Amino acid sequence: MQFFFHNKSNRVWLVLIIGLMLFNIWNIVVNTPMVPDQHWAQKIFYVHVPSAWVGFLSYFIVMVAGIMYFIKGDEHWDKVGLAAAEIGTLFISLVLITGPIWATPIWGQPWIWEPRLTTTLILFLIYIGYFMMRAFGGHAERVKRYAASLGIIAFVDVPIIFVSVKFWAPEIQSHPQVEMTSQPPGILIPFLLSLGIFTVLYRLMLKYRIHVIQVNYKRVADV
Amino acid sequence: MFLTLLKKELFVEFRTREITISMIVFGLAIILTFAFSSNVSPVIIVNFAPGMFWIMVLFVTVIGVHRSFAYEKEFDAFSMLISAPIDRGLIFLSKWISGFIFLTIMEILLFIPFYKFLMIDFPIQPWLALGTTILINLAIMVVASLVSGIAMRARLSEVLLPILLFPLVSPVIISATKISGSIMRGEPYALWDIWLLIILTVIVVFGLVGYTLFDFITEE
Amino acid sequence: MLSVSNISKSFNYRSVLKDVSFTLNAGETVVIMGKNGAGKTTLLRIIARIMACEKGKILFQNQNLFDGEPSIRKKLLYIGHAPAMYTALSAIENLTLALNLRYIKANASKILDRLNHFGLGMQANDPISIYSQGMLQRLKLAYAELTDWDLLLFDEPFTGLDQDGVALMDKALTQWIKEGKTMCMVLHNMERAKQYGDQILYLNHGVMESL
Repeated sequence: MQFFFHNKSNRVWLVLIIGLMLFNIWNIVVNTPMVPDQHWAQKIFYVHVPSAWVGFLSYFIVMVAGIMYFIKGDEHWDKVGLAAAEIGTLFISLVLITGPIWATPIWGQPWIWEPRLTTTLILFLIYIGYFMMRAFGGHAERVKRYAASLGIIAFVDVPIIFVSVKFWAPEIQSHPQVEMTSQPPGILIPFLLSLGIFTVLYRLMLKYRIHVIQVNYKRVADV
Repeated sequence: MFLTLLKKELFVEFRTREITISMIVFGLAIILTFAFSSNVSPVIIVNFAPGMFWIMVLFVTVIGVHRSFAYEKEFDAFSMLISAPIDRGLIFLSKWISGFIFLTIMEILLFIPFYKFLMIDFPIQPWLALGTTILINLAIMVVASLVSGIAMRARLSEVLLPILLFPLVSPVIISATKISGSIMRGEPYALWDIWLLIILTVIVVFGLVGYTLFDFITEE
Repeated sequence: MLSVSNISKSFNYRSVLKDVSFTLNAGETVVIMGKNGAGKTTLLRIIARIMACEKGKILFQNQNLFDGEPSIRKKLLYIGHAPAMYTALSAIENLTLALNLRYIKANASKILDRLNHFGLGMQANDPISIYSQGMLQRLKLAYAELTDWDLLLFDEPFTGLDQDGVALMDKALTQWIKEGKTMCMVLHNMERAKQYGDQILYLNHGVMESL
């Protein structure tokens, strides 16, 4: 099996994304305006929201891969599902870390059961179960089907969890910065840029991870 | 065919009484623990009673539903069901409905001990409480049966079942606590209709997903 | 009747069946032999749709077993090592349930008659958890006789039987062959394999060889 970065287009993408990411950080730190009463804390949103977007997108891909695995029975979709689950959990962890970092100075405490963060936390716990199933479930071939079905029900559950958590503690507001579309262009444009760069980064990460999983499977199967 | 399967679930349980008895005894043990750990102060408990009740139900559900799938593995009995020329979704439906029946029986029997041991008043509208409880039981069981079906053949199934079930079922537990609390305080329906809608959504969505997925996950 | 092509199955990436193919015509009996762990039981369980496999296709009566309606399997009967019955229920209750699940009207007196024939009449109402290996084997035989099948997958029919039991089993198998029924059996004894089998296949570490 070929080394992932022997492929020229992958190399080009890697260099491009490193460049874009450096530009993104510089842009966020230097160019974006300060929000009056939040100062530096607000800037974490340029990372927090794109991470959440990529995380949920990734879990959506886990569901799609699960459905495709059942319809086609093709091993490839299992690898896509596993790769997306791993990367999704990475970004969801970032959301759960950056959220409290923002909340500590603004709300005075790291965690107040804000509905979006709560939904994310519940989803994170479901995915810990998912990886436990992958690790402790038994025969790898059997576990693939269980993992695919878990990926499907986890994402199907997301809207239900979100609605219930939202009405559970209505006195807690969603964080105001999430309504990014109503922001002035000075904030909106760098934000959308960051969102785009994170998505491109995610695409390369997913491709790389699928490649690694394929190589690993081959190695185990050859022994 | 569904009735044949359901009859089998009920008949096996009628013979052994494993599931219902373990559920009831475990439920009693939980009530006792709640009473000891909350110092039985009616003023405080009345606020937490709905939550305590549904925590008890959730724990008891794990015991029951795990047993309901575990006995299928004795003598490879599950092979009889999955090699039969029947729609496997029906196996899921029969597990769901039978589990729902066992859970409801358990709640009926533990209802009085729960209120009496924790020294709280009965709800003002018993019929409303009963109706909503039945819907909530259906919702808890549909998620539990699906997760248990996924976990049943896994190694460590008894550990994986609660770990996967609790976060997945959290919308139901939130709704159940809110509904019971509202009924105990005698609030009008308009204040808690959203929770009933969430419960119904869970029943429909997980019912359909479970019915479809069972064809893929029951095989060894 | 049955056409198995390129079935592959592995447990934790260890291959148990490698591209196993064979065909079975109506009225034929095929005997599968092989060492312990060669994948014989796995193969039968895959055909019965109890186990999933990674690759391959199975046609039963010209219909794809893997993505057709469940009713395709109506005339396919699998009898495995374990009885595949509920320990809490009696022989009669188990048989009634198993027959109902195959859309066969179960008649209590007919079931009892078969159980008597195989020497289980006295224990017909006892839970099968107290049955011995030989009694379970007789119970499976009664099940096969009561079911209306076109293809029987039988995993080691002779295990655990006493002298009388072996005679009963032999009689039943011979009778089925005479009636022109189709069977696929796992056996360990070469003489028996030659006696019943039109085709003898040998599974060697997951690879099918014919003898």
